[in-house]
Amino acid sequence: MERPELAAAAPLLELRQISVAGRDRPRLQQLDLQIRPGERVALLGSSGAGKSTLLAVANGCLRPDAGQVLWQGLPPERSGRKRRRQQARIGTLWHDLRLIEELSVQQNLNAARLAHWGWPKALLNLVLPLETEACAAALRDMELDPALLSQPVTALSGGQRQRLAMARLLRQQPILLLADEPLASLDPRLASQLLALLLRQAQAPRALLLSLHRPDLLQGFDRVIGLRQGRLLFDCGTAAVDGARLRELYGDEAAGP
Amino acid sequence: MRPAAPLLLLLPALVLVPLLLALPGLLHGGGWDLIADFSAAALTPSLDPLVLQSLLSGLGVTVAMALLGWGTSLFAGLVLGLASSRTIWRTLLGQEQPAEVIRRLLALPRSIHELLWGLLLLQVLGLQPVVAVLAIAIPYGALVARVVSDLLDALPTANLEALRASGAPAPAALLTALGPPLLPGVLSYGGYRLECALRSATLLGVFGLGGLGTELKLTLQSLEFHELWSGLWLLLAVMLALETGVGLLRRRWAMPRRFGLHQFAVGRRGREMVLALLALVPLLLVVGRVMGVDPAALAHWQPLPGLASGRWQAVLSLPWPQLVSGTLLLTALAAGLAVGLAPLLLLLTAPWPWARRLLGFGWMLARLWPPPLTLLLLLFVLKPGLITAALALGLHNLGILGRLLRESLQDGNPAPEQALVAAGSGPRLALLYGGLSGVARPYLAYGAYRSDVMLRETVVVGLAGAVGLGSQMLESLSSFAWDQLAALLLVYALLTLAGEDLSDRLRRRLLRQV
Repeated sequence: MERPELAAAAPLLELRQISVAGRDRPRLQQLDLQIRPGERVALLGSSGAGKSTLLAVANGCLRPDAGQVLWQGLPPERSGRKRRRQQARIGTLWHDLRLIEELSVQQNLNAARLAHWGWPKALLNLVLPLETEACAAALRDMELDPALLSQPVTALSGGQRQRLAMARLLRQQPILLLADEPLASLDPRLASQLLALLLRQAQAPRALLLSLHRPDLLQGFDRVIGLRQGRLLFDCGTAAVDGARLRELYGDEAAGP
Repeated sequence: MRPAAPLLLLLPALVLVPLLLALPGLLHGGGWDLIADFSAAALTPSLDPLVLQSLLSGLGVTVAMALLGWGTSLFAGLVLGLASSRTIWRTLLGQEQPAEVIRRLLALPRSIHELLWGLLLLQVLGLQPVVAVLAIAIPYGALVARVVSDLLDALPTANLEALRASGAPAPAALLTALGPPLLPGVLSYGGYRLECALRSATLLGVFGLGGLGTELKLTLQSLEFHELWSGLWLLLAVMLALETGVGLLRRRWAMPRRFGLHQFAVGRRGREMVLALLALVPLLLVVGRVMGVDPAALAHWQPLPGLASGRWQAVLSLPWPQLVSGTLLLTALAAGLAVGLAPLLLLLTAPWPWARRLLGFGWMLARLWPPPLTLLLLLFVLKPGLITAALALGLHNLGILGRLLRESLQDGNPAPEQALVAAGSGPRLALLYGGLSGVARPYLAYGAYRSDVMLRETVVVGLAGAVGLGSQMLESLSSFAWDQLAALLLVYALLTLAGEDLSDRLRRRLLRQV
């Protein structure tokens, strides 16, 4: 029933009245959210506010107990090839990176292409890593040395691993970028470098939704979403985020450094 | 170009190619109606009270044999394990030499399969309960001893040295420093051995030592499939209860999983563990009493013909190269089948949870079902020979390896696999890249160990005829050719010791590269 032109104009991600139950209290409650191409959105809230749950719903890892998820205007397919194609357009930068420790850098980069590869390529890549040129380019984009391609992931430093995870994310060629507290464990210099990279990648038709627990890195975002105890507290332009809103978001805690 | 971890895991499955090619030639045409009857009978087991009563009493005997053999092996293994620990000797006497000597001596009982012990003791002592108990206790005790001493010698000794330096006497220091960390590992291994003991006791029954195994074999041979399935379901229930019980205790006491594919923090409720161990003693005594196990019977040996009168010329003229190569080929085929098929089947069933559950159930039946019975079943449709024997042995071990692989995937980190699914890769490729990568090396290391076990187990499928040392041994046993048997046992033991050494090296290499 969806007409293609409508789908193209639709938000990349739309959440309607999403609720997720938790053990003692709901993790998300009747949450509405839209993200359109070109938008760079920060998701703010203290730990336990439901940021990770929201991202898991957004990337399809978690099915909400109530409400509707729409990707480019379409509900998630149940399974099969169509679903995989939908998933391939959503890229997630995980808090714990989720690199495959036993494989080489190049094999890890190529793991992002598995949605499009059949068995022959997937198996061959485990013997003779494929698409060296594209992988080298992905590393160069993240200012990593292409000589690392043949190295095992375990040989990389913490900063290199972070960049590799970014390179893998982009090699997936997603249009919706999700990032779960990617800056939390980084020193300030690395954090601002990574943030700049992510913001630069999030040009239309792409969009970015990134979760943060500190409000001091909002520069460069178009919109900020405040989440408290699973409820949407505010959804506004970055400029409108002031001390009063942050105090409301974090309760009695100080509103940022 | 070196194959990456997950691919390494699939390489053993290449053995399927020659197996599948050879299979059509092995079919002898008939017997499918029997297989159909057998399968259909699974749903309609016999509920005749007489049948059930006889099966239940057989099951009781099997469980009692398993329990007694296992209990004896556990205590004997603990003592022998302490006696063959380098750390113990170093602390008590300041030298490690005696540990080495005892270790070497224990290799011999370990290298001979419990079935051979059973058949040998049967010849010497006649048919009585103590035979099956000893048959299990001897090789198991030596195995437990090895595990205990390996665990002991791998423990860090800093605590021990600190205690000694502060003037504690050696025995007290050993008990305080090494007891608590050792116990969970030993009990975890012990729980696993109890499962093995139940399988072994059933197997011994198949070869005539009494209990449920004997009933199963008789019903299969007389094609009473409904009665056969009644026995199988009963055995399955006991095995399920046992596996569940051991699993519960493992969690309650935070014991490491066997062969530690993943390291957990270990040990909780130490006092409870010790009490449980002590409570075993009266239990075993009562069971032994009820079973009529009489240690005095051990004194009454039947006289054996002296080996000096052996006809050694005839022994030498046995086809040794064929026997040895047959045994090795059988082991390689069965090992490739078992090690390689488990990940392959998990990959194939990855998208369907119901297929996974079905597979888990199939594996359970496979490890429950003694290999010689599988062999008899296969012989309904296949010609006897090496490949048929390898299938029977491989399928049984597939049940064991498959369960281990599934458990270790469940315990492992699901995050990489989940991330791949979220990025749009299919469930199979996500499992291959994200799931199997992490477990590949420890699983293969366990596979190396299991191959060594399979080498020892080749004797149990010796019924398939002309498949190496195992079948020759069964033949020599039944014709009372003691000279042949002695020579065969010696060669077999040497072979299994060499196999053990090889699998140890392979295992260390695999685990070092993690």
